[in-house]
Amino acid sequence: MTVAENTFENLRLELRRGCLTLAVLAQLRQEHYGYTLRKDLAERGLEIDESTLYPLLRRLETQGLLASQWREEDKRNKRFYRLSPEGEQILTRLLDEWNSINASVSRILEAETAPNSQAR
Amino acid sequence: MELLDRYLQAVRKYLPLRRQDDIIAELRANMESQIEDRESELGRSLTQGEFDDFLRKIGHPMVVASRYQPQQYLIGPTMFPMYLYVLRIAMLWIFIICMIVAAVVTPLTEGTGGAVVAAVFRTPGILIQTAAWITLVFAAFEFARTRYPNICPQIDGLNKSWNPSTLPPLEKEALREGKTRSFAQAVAEIIFSVLFLGWVLLIPHYPFLLLGPGVVFLKTSPYQLASVWWTFFGWIVALGIMQIVAKCIDLARGTWERRSRIQQIVFKIVGLIPVLVLLAAPGHIYVSLKNPAVDQAQFGQNLAQVNNAIHLGFSVICAIVVLQLAFDLGKWVSEAYRRREAAF
Repeated sequence: MTVAENTFENLRLELRRGCLTLAVLAQLRQEHYGYTLRKDLAERGLEIDESTLYPLLRRLETQGLLASQWREEDKRNKRFYRLSPEGEQILTRLLDEWNSINASVSRILEAETAPNSQAR
Repeated sequence: MELLDRYLQAVRKYLPLRRQDDIIAELRANMESQIEDRESELGRSLTQGEFDDFLRKIGHPMVVASRYQPQQYLIGPTMFPMYLYVLRIAMLWIFIICMIVAAVVTPLTEGTGGAVVAAVFRTPGILIQTAAWITLVFAAFEFARTRYPNICPQIDGLNKSWNPSTLPPLEKEALREGKTRSFAQAVAEIIFSVLFLGWVLLIPHYPFLLLGPGVVFLKTSPYQLASVWWTFFGWIVALGIMQIVAKCIDLARGTWERRSRIQQIVFKIVGLIPVLVLLAAPGHIYVSLKNPAVDQAQFGQNLAQVNNAIHLGFSVICAIVVLQLAFDLGKWVSEAYRRREAAF
């Protein structure tokens, strides 16, 4: 891996990290267990490694943003996660932040492209 | 499925004891669901190779388990700047204290060159021990802070309690690199260097130029200077000539304003040679008797004490010069590194 690729990969991971948390919290407005959550996110275009997602669920639960319970489904005990009331509040605030950042970046990118299009 | 059990067993070994069962049960449920899904897609069981690929994709057991650990670093980003600052200050002061002990206290208490060298060689070990203790204390604090956030006080880092007005004033570039010399100063330096060299060259013929009225004592006393002083004298003259030549070259090239750091360091290194010549004097003899056959009985013991004292003195001087040189070299390397970083 070249230095540029390595730099890109680090920045990409950094960018993804926060987005993944947001996506997981948003997806857990409905109850899921680890594997189905991963499948649902992948179907919506967000692939997450098992080794990233499962510990992330644990961390979010420790922080009080998720609630979990063991339940039997298809003859197998599974741990189901759901957004806690505190998690819902945090998710609302995070989504506001996300939308604000998204809008700002869009405005910056528009401002970058506007002079070029005027010049043409 | 035996391979899955082996895999989970391996993951378990690296997990925190308290949560092992819970995490492994959850991991097993997720992995089994995933395997079932894959097998129903294929309409058959996974082959050994496919199972290997599946586990390989999930990751090495140690890596997978490490993601469940709450703390991934020894000293976190909040504490790290403080750790680095404390480490630097401690290293600097310990180094200075060790050098003072080696160069001043050891010669006064133990009085041998060997003890001084031993004291100098003890320094790296002391520095490593200090660094290890500081790291250990910070790591323990970080561990406690992360594991027990409710008990340990939260550190805001260096961001909250600082006042911008306490920032040091701007350093001027010229002050940092030393004062510049005018042309007149550069010429005056050469003239005085030549005069100094002339004075040095005259000393063997007219010792009173150095000793003044004390020259009478040299003539009447039973002692005389050993031959090592001639070698020392030769080096002093050579160094004087070298400095004059370098100053003339600077003047001719128009670079008299600021002597280059390399030139300064080279002169300091070469300047060590005369001191080393004296330190390596055969038998540490600097002064001898003019007529040993006559005066040995009366002055022999004093002579040995004088020679030892002179040797000790030069050992201390040598240690100080070496320290100064090491400090200059360190400063030079650090400045060069900063300039290189700034250039990028």
